Amino acid sequence: MSFSTVLSASIQGLEVGFVNVEADVSNGLPAFHMVGYLSSEVKEAAERVRTAIRNSGLDYPAKKTVINLSPATVRKRGAAFDLPIAVSILVSLGQITEKSVRKTLVIGELGLDGCIQKVPGILPIVLEARDAGIPVCIVPKANAPEGALVKGIDVIGVRNLAEAFGFLSGTIRLEPELYPEDKMHVYTNGLPDYSDIQGQKTVKRAVEVAVAGGHNLLLVGPPGSGKSMAAKRIPGIFPVMTLEESMEVTKIYSIMGQVDKEAPLVRQRPFRSVHHTSTKAALIGGGLIPAPGEISLAHGGVLFLDELPEFQRAVLEVLREPLEEHQIRITRTHGSYVFPANFILVAAMNPCACGCYPDLERCTCTPGQIQNYLGKISQPFLDRMDICIEAPKVNYEELSGGNEEESSSKIRERVCRARNIQNARYAGTGIVTNAMLGVKELDKYCTLGKRESKLMEQAFTSLRLTARTYHKILKVSRTIADLDGAETIQEKHIKEAIGYRAMDKKYWGR
Amino acid sequence: MKYEYWFAQIPHLSDRKKYLLREYMGTAESIFYIEETKLKKIKFLNEKDANTIIRAKKAVDLGTLLSNLKKKSIRFIPWFSEEFPKKLHEIPDPPYAIYVKGNMPEETNGAAAIVGARQCTAYGEKYALEYGEKLAQCGISIISGLARGIDGLGHRGALMGNGDTYAVLGCGADICYPREHIGLYTDILERGGGIISEFSPGTPPVPHNFPKRNRIISGLSDMVLIMEAREKSGSLITADMALEQGRDVYALPGPVDSVLSRGCNQLIRQGAGILLTPEILLEELGFSSFITGAKIDKNKKVLETKENMVYSRLCPYPKNLSQLAGETSLTAGELLEQLVSLELKGYIKEISKNYYVTL
Repeated sequence: MSFSTVLSASIQGLEVGFVNVEADVSNGLPAFHMVGYLSSEVKEAAERVRTAIRNSGLDYPAKKTVINLSPATVRKRGAAFDLPIAVSILVSLGQITEKSVRKTLVIGELGLDGCIQKVPGILPIVLEARDAGIPVCIVPKANAPEGALVKGIDVIGVRNLAEAFGFLSGTIRLEPELYPEDKMHVYTNGLPDYSDIQGQKTVKRAVEVAVAGGHNLLLVGPPGSGKSMAAKRIPGIFPVMTLEESMEVTKIYSIMGQVDKEAPLVRQRPFRSVHHTSTKAALIGGGLIPAPGEISLAHGGVLFLDELPEFQRAVLEVLREPLEEHQIRITRTHGSYVFPANFILVAAMNPCACGCYPDLERCTCTPGQIQNYLGKISQPFLDRMDICIEAPKVNYEELSGGNEEESSSKIRERVCRARNIQNARYAGTGIVTNAMLGVKELDKYCTLGKRESKLMEQAFTSLRLTARTYHKILKVSRTIADLDGAETIQEKHIKEAIGYRAMDKKYWGR
Repeated sequence: MKYEYWFAQIPHLSDRKKYLLREYMGTAESIFYIEETKLKKIKFLNEKDANTIIRAKKAVDLGTLLSNLKKKSIRFIPWFSEEFPKKLHEIPDPPYAIYVKGNMPEETNGAAAIVGARQCTAYGEKYALEYGEKLAQCGISIISGLARGIDGLGHRGALMGNGDTYAVLGCGADICYPREHIGLYTDILERGGGIISEFSPGTPPVPHNFPKRNRIISGLSDMVLIMEAREKSGSLITADMALEQGRDVYALPGPVDSVLSRGCNQLIRQGAGILLTPEILLEELGFSSFITGAKIDKNKKVLETKENMVYSRLCPYPKNLSQLAGETSLTAGELLEQLVSLELKGYIKEISKNYYVTL
């Protein structure tokens, strides 16, 4: 048998594409050719594979070798084809039987000594393989716990080429990696807790409303008022992730090669803090074949933008679409890629460049400078912040008070109750939280009584609301009503929601 | 006239020297045509001054000089003109000439300057508007500097009271500074007021012009009302100049711990008049018939218990949510609810995110 084929796979965006790795070893001048629309890291596999085979104590005669990775129209990237190429050559040389690699997916990167390194994207690949009815996957040992999250398929972790050869030729017995049952529990200890924050009850309340309804949150306050501290604790009051959610998030982390070997499944909601020097591509994802960006890594959790006005304006503007759509579509000439991006955006900013406005005793900014500072954020972006709250500077009594503060788990209970109400109300509509309501659904789920409509009308004219802020207020008041356990939205809910509205910059700092 | 205009707008030559030179030579025309050697021999001019004049002579295009003014509809009024305000002749260092777009304040009417801090609080804002309006209603011209904050609000108040108001600028009368007051600038002109400057058209708003223009604000006025001022501020310079010029100075008292009232309170301590209400001031000025019924006391309107509890904690100076939460023992949600209903009823205003002031 001089020809053989081995199944492998590659990642395109979030999608998995199966790749057939074909090898043909024949007589002729000794040479090693690789074809199949390969990027340079795949082409470099030639040297790694030949050396690794020899260093693993296996025979590699001087013959003409041709490798083809099909389908030939899809760009192949990464070092994960090293192992399937090596296995395919060994089958062609007759050292492994063709039968033993049939219906087996092989993936892994080789070192020159034959050791197998971990590669990104194992979880989605194994999932796809199971769905395609493939019974066995051979993956790097370091990736095996991640692959084992998928039930109904045998995932074999291998440390080196010799071990893979032994397993395939039947000389070594390797057990499939076990489903990591003991690692599925939620790691809540170690998460920062709201009981660490003294006082700040207005901020805590706003955070609670934001999480309960999936609303975006803007914290405005002087430096050192605990904006970041409050933001970091938000994942701790989210409802616990379901298994499906965890799998979805873990898939993204797997593709980015960020899965923890010890705890493969992501059980804690992501909290992604993005620095203000980040680029558009870093935020929404990018590259020739796009990789997910920070907004997708924050899927199901929190994206935190500290020092909001310091971000480049263009960078913030690209967030507008994912904030509305809860996903991001990146289009390239050869296709378009959709990444999930359903996150709560939490942003923090100072009220002015020096941070002290409106304390005129300490603020050194002129009205022009304040306008200039706020001008760095566009009004449409500001309008997308459903809840805006001031994080006040903490005074000494609060700081040293040592009062018993409410713990995150208490807040989480209330959040869960409100989320359950929403789940029941929106069952079967594809809507999860109040924040996701469209204008059409608003009429259906946010009906107002006579007095409430009158209040909204009054607010609309006297506070110069826009249509968007009007809708945001409705959604937030729906959430406040849910937290209250109220069937209908009442005046007090609307009033509180109005208090959270994002300020219109025009009237800010006059 | 073109020679006079040419002479008036020569930069880097002090007003005093311009006076002396014109008195000495009789007309600006003779200054224009004087021989260089003769010019240099004049006692009170030094070498530099003479060179300045010679350079200005060479640079000028006399033909287009006046048409530029006309195009911008700016009038040139030198000190010897009939139109030159008598009040400015009284002050220690009157400008050599002024440039006016629109009208000049009527000499027969009283004039009051309303000045104060650029970055003012809601308190100063309220009273600048109120004094501007009430005084203007009685036919008193309101003079100010078109600056941000109190100045602009003084003008605005006067326009609300359907009165005349005049802005004295620290740049050319054709330039609106600050830019964002362009609406006010045009409103003042449309409503029969005027824009006045001692700087020739096209002069940019450079910082050292502003203290100079303050003497004209007070000079054109019979009294100067200071609404809010920090301890060291331009408004206090205006007050000093007003005293030098023999104008009455009034200051609006404020809380002793407000930085923006410290300047005013200090003035009151030094003997400035206290602004209690516009009515009292007008009575002092002899407009006794003006006094109308007492103002509506907002506190007397019906407020619910909780609303009242929150309202009583607020003042014209910004207080934030957490301060109020500490003082009222309401929950965060309840507190916001009360604040929003007060805001909707028009008792309070949110001036920055979650900072509230009474109106």
